[in-house]
Amino acid sequence: MTEPQGTSSIDAGLNRRSFLRKLAGAGGAAVALQALDQLAADPAQALASYEAQIQELSSTSGGDLSKLDVLERMRRELVRALEKPPEERRWVMVIDLRKCVGCHACTIACVAENRLPPGVVYRPVLEEEWGVYPNVGRRFVPRPCMQCDKPPCTPVCPVNATYKNVDGVVVVDYDQCIGCRACLTACPYGARTSDFGLTYNEPNPVADGLIAGRTVAEGYERAPSFEYGEARPRQERTSPIGNARKCHFCLHRIAVGELPACVTTCIGRATLFGDANDPASLVAEMIAQPNVIRLKEELGTEPRVYYLL
Amino acid sequence: MVTIKRILYVLGILALILGLYGFYNRLFIGERDVNYGSYVTWGLWVAMYLFFAGVASGSYMVAALDYLFGVKLFKGLGKYALWSAMVTLPAALISIGMDLGHMERVWKVYLQPNLTSLLAQMVWGYTIFGAVIVISLVLAARQKEGTSWALKVMAAIGFVLAIFVSGGVGALLGVNASRAVWHVGLLPAQFPIFSLATGTALLLTIVSFFGAANDPQREGRQRALGVITIVLLLVKTYILWSDFSMSLYSGVPQNVQAINEVLYGTYWWSFWILQIFLGTVVPIVVLLVPAWAKNRILSGLIGVLVLIGFAAARANIVFPALTIPELQGLAEAFTGPHLNFDYFPSLMEWSVTIGVVGLSTLAYLIGIDRLPFLKTQAEVA
Repeated sequence: MTEPQGTSSIDAGLNRRSFLRKLAGAGGAAVALQALDQLAADPAQALASYEAQIQELSSTSGGDLSKLDVLERMRRELVRALEKPPEERRWVMVIDLRKCVGCHACTIACVAENRLPPGVVYRPVLEEEWGVYPNVGRRFVPRPCMQCDKPPCTPVCPVNATYKNVDGVVVVDYDQCIGCRACLTACPYGARTSDFGLTYNEPNPVADGLIAGRTVAEGYERAPSFEYGEARPRQERTSPIGNARKCHFCLHRIAVGELPACVTTCIGRATLFGDANDPASLVAEMIAQPNVIRLKEELGTEPRVYYLL
Repeated sequence: MVTIKRILYVLGILALILGLYGFYNRLFIGERDVNYGSYVTWGLWVAMYLFFAGVASGSYMVAALDYLFGVKLFKGLGKYALWSAMVTLPAALISIGMDLGHMERVWKVYLQPNLTSLLAQMVWGYTIFGAVIVISLVLAARQKEGTSWALKVMAAIGFVLAIFVSGGVGALLGVNASRAVWHVGLLPAQFPIFSLATGTALLLTIVSFFGAANDPQREGRQRALGVITIVLLLVKTYILWSDFSMSLYSGVPQNVQAINEVLYGTYWWSFWILQIFLGTVVPIVVLLVPAWAKNRILSGLIGVLVLIGFAAARANIVFPALTIPELQGLAEAFTGPHLNFDYFPSLMEWSVTIGVVGLSTLAYLIGIDRLPFLKTQAEVA
């Protein structure tokens, strides 16, 4: 096939990546695209280069993190917060409902990150509709655990298996939980689910030599999750099977300076996360807005998840 | 009445056989085949725990009429009521034990408890209550004439404990502030009355079916238990009326939705047919007609109907409140097994419950046939 005349000059001067780079202009997006180029060639060097460029960018902008992509800004703020004693930080999540498009990527990212089995969900995205045609409205409401400061779910536990940890996140001690589901019943947000021991793969038929997928998929399903920083392979009748399970703000990721999985996968940057005790943080800025609400405020549970309307 | 006993033996054995599937499935496979889940968190087994625990505490209250209050009419009946408590309390504990995701960890509630949790308080409360029943039974078996002071003291402790533990299971639900329909002061208050009603109904059945034919007091006892049952059924109906009318009148959406679910929902029949018609109207009518009330078979069956009605009542308290989504759109947001707001017990759940009923029925019958201190009077029949 003969190429149309002139395309070679276009190739030389404006390949796809450089076009995108120009389109994106200066700032964090261009840096990210450059990093993508290098990532394929040498991942380690790419990461170092990315860090260096981000450093340079923030130093040239006078250390103003607000010039960065919000993800990078939140990551830096997270690292900064981790330097403080745990009791001095206050993790909060802010969800901008104007930006949520209902793609459910956060739900799926959470399922993958925590290797959630069928029937267990930490962060469904609710669809709310109101009004009468033609005056109707619709919005998407992601619903992680609210990490309430006055949680109704913890005092009902008969064995202290669920409690607020030093970071203020409501956690479940899987080895302590007896599986009574009193905490599920007490949660006003339906934010806890019980693990009934199912796997996605189990109902599928097995035919040796014909269906390779099941073996591979089973390996994935049995692979350990790293919730609460513990590697727990999924085994029959072993915790977390039989336990109450819930969103924990991806504590295992936070511990190593990573944002929760739902935050990093949000395509609209609708989910924000950080230390509200840091007055310079993005989340502190957001929860000071007048259009901020919390779910079921009237119950006095003091949720740590805020919504922007 | 030997025929009735034989029929009950056969039914008990059949129920136990039917229960084997459920016991096996739960103990060796797990909770995969249950229909309760993460939204309807508590199902048939929890309702049956409330029911059997209520029967046990109600039976103890009735036993106290003999051992604590010394009511002459009930003299000699206390030990049968105690034996009823003895066989129904384990039924309650088996039901709730099956409901636990990790029943092997139940020891943690004793050694590492959170005593501010009502559930932990109930485990401790029912353990102490169980011990009180056993000690009371031993004392009752040993006594020759009159009631010993030790049994009186034990009966006093047990009577108070029975009120608290039966009220406690009501509080177990009532403290959930987010479930508007449960979160009323009336909920724990009505449970001891429900318990007393079931204890009375069970004793009515026992006296009617197994009371000594030549006992001159049997008819009077049957009548007295019948009248107490009528009064308690009327009180229960009044409580139900005040509860439902308050909720419907105030119009709190979550409340109204839950009440409407009971009255007109998928399982309306369990309320209107089991709880109201068979469990309340029929017993009141039959027990009000002296000729019918005297009939041993009929009044014995009425006792069973009242028990079925109260079992349905417990279920109608537990399930409907849980079938209302906490947030709009939660039911549809993420679907999967055990993520439903519709609930009807699975075959396995029914199997376990039928098995538990069979077990406690057989335990009762074996007790009155084999235990010497129970055998003496029952066998006269």
